[in-house]
Amino acid sequence: MKTLAIGVMVFLATTAVAVAHHGLAAFDRTTKVTLMGTVTDFHFVNPHSVVEFEVKDDAGQVQKWQAEMTSPKNLKGWTATSLEPGDVVTVTGYRAKSGALFLWVTELSSSNGMKLRGA
Amino acid sequence: MVVTLAAPSFVRGQTEAGIPVTDPLVLARCGTCHTVDERGNMQRISWARATPEGWQAATKRMIGENGVSVTPLEARAIVKYLSTRHGLAPEEAKPVMYAAERRIHDESDTANDSLQDACSRCHQAARALSWRRTADDWKRFAARHAERYQFTPDPEAVDFLVKVAPLHTREWDAWSARARTPEIGGRWLVTAHIPGRGNFYGEMATEATGGGDEFLTRTRLRSVDGTSVLARTGRALAYAGTAWRGRSSGSSLASSAPDDSSNATQEAMLVAPDGSRAEGRWFWGQYQELGVDVKMQRPSSDPIVLLVDPLSFKAGSNANRIRLIGDRFPAQVTAADVSAGPGVTVRRIVSSTPGEIVAEVDVARDALPGRRNIAFRSSTLERAVAIYDRVDYLKVMPDSSLAAFSGEAYLRGYQQFEAIAYQRGPDGRRHTADDVELGPVDVAWSMEVFYEVDQSQQDRVGTLSPAGFFTPAAASPGVNYDVWIIATAKNEKSPDGKPLVGKSYLVVTVPTYTFNGRRYVRDLDRWIEEGSSGR
Repeated sequence: MKTLAIGVMVFLATTAVAVAHHGLAAFDRTTKVTLMGTVTDFHFVNPHSVVEFEVKDDAGQVQKWQAEMTSPKNLKGWTATSLEPGDVVTVTGYRAKSGALFLWVTELSSSNGMKLRGA
Repeated sequence: MVVTLAAPSFVRGQTEAGIPVTDPLVLARCGTCHTVDERGNMQRISWARATPEGWQAATKRMIGENGVSVTPLEARAIVKYLSTRHGLAPEEAKPVMYAAERRIHDESDTANDSLQDACSRCHQAARALSWRRTADDWKRFAARHAERYQFTPDPEAVDFLVKVAPLHTREWDAWSARARTPEIGGRWLVTAHIPGRGNFYGEMATEATGGGDEFLTRTRLRSVDGTSVLARTGRALAYAGTAWRGRSSGSSLASSAPDDSSNATQEAMLVAPDGSRAEGRWFWGQYQELGVDVKMQRPSSDPIVLLVDPLSFKAGSNANRIRLIGDRFPAQVTAADVSAGPGVTVRRIVSSTPGEIVAEVDVARDALPGRRNIAFRSSTLERAVAIYDRVDYLKVMPDSSLAAFSGEAYLRGYQQFEAIAYQRGPDGRRHTADDVELGPVDVAWSMEVFYEVDQSQQDRVGTLSPAGFFTPAAASPGVNYDVWIIATAKNEKSPDGKPLVGKSYLVVTVPTYTFNGRRYVRDLDRWIEEGSSGR
């Protein structure tokens, strides 16, 4: 039997897909990154909601980022339409250690007024 | 021997009237512990009602924990009596059918946060909501449950149960007064949807075998696209004539393919009180994750429209062929017999048989988008076909789900995906209630593992078939993976000319793990402590 290391598993009591899922081990929690970009999609799903957004880098190239948040149940006041394609978002969070364009969101604000803090 | 210890009910703290127990077997086998008062009320039992699954779990617990000695036949008879006389009215059973049907379900529509939080460690809140109890009994149940499983009961969760799941309800009073065993035997018209494989139609023949509520079943379904036939035989029981629970298997030997619909399945359906319709899910798999959505209805002496194909038409399109699949269509059919509402003109009948009509229809450029009823004379199939003028987005269903690696006694848990096209509704927003579902579309399937720059090692997580069927890797890597399941439309484009893309969030999990010395196993949609599934 495989025994997972403590710290790999975090209990997340969510609805629908209520599963012990993952912690933040995949993210570099020593440094926060802030990005501004345009939403291309928003997935208000379990176990984690995810914002997809495009950011122009210094060379003007478009980078496709994904920002992961807590579960819908814990996003009080949010719905599937809280972020729409075209909304401009400023996202702060921990970047994936792998170098993939992934963030764990700690703060988010959108041009439509939606805000998330301390996720 | 029947043990009846007369004791007034109020002595035990019950302030509401109980439901007397009259079955000699229940009185004999349960009466050794549950006393009976002068009104025939049996301690605990008379102050509770539940679904067949609820009574089955309670009976198992009495046998396993309290040493009740019953034969399998007696246990079955006890569950049958209690599910019938102490069951749920159809209106009460319907909101929690997802539990019996083994569906992953967002429970925010059935339970408040307190109840979800209280239950979610071990099971769906529907397990509690599948019971009805007096206020006294809910409090007693919560105290005992907390003691047995070592947690602190949440008074808000108990208050919620007292409020929404009382023993005495208007629905139960009405149902228990009119409940009868409906005629289940005979011919049923069946439509079914198998995710990833499309719609099916056909018939089921049922033959009563015991007391009118138990029967043998023979089902034969054909896919709408004509490529496959499902033939199944089985047995079923309709508790109180409404709670259909059965098992069936394919007439041909099932292959080793996990998604082979010849596999043995369990059936959970709710039969309408008048016995005219039934609806539910037939399911199989380690986690019951694979299944068929089934609807059945009784034939009548009049024509019936069961299903149409295709499921959507574009505004401004002409000479479309539409198939009406049904029963008892007459020999003479004219275009005037078929209607699909304003903006849709039935030009001619191409062909007709007693089971199918093919018509040619034009859809006006200004036909209003939305779902339309399709009618053949007086038979109407509601919201059968969609009219649209653009495809706005794809939704991959299920939009979040689990699969599992194998391990020890656990087989792999699979997942079937399906891409559905949508047009935004009048509010102009995606993912809102007014959006128009257009039906499944052809897509190319791909995967993307979260946080990985190099996606060339996906095989260690699993594979996705061209039909959207996810198979976890044979060897468990010992960790969970988050994966995007991505559908790219082969034909539909976004307004800027790019192919439409939809995504679903899949978590591929290990089947068991140990944390702080406790061992957890995966259930349908959550981790539970080993041995807690009967809670």
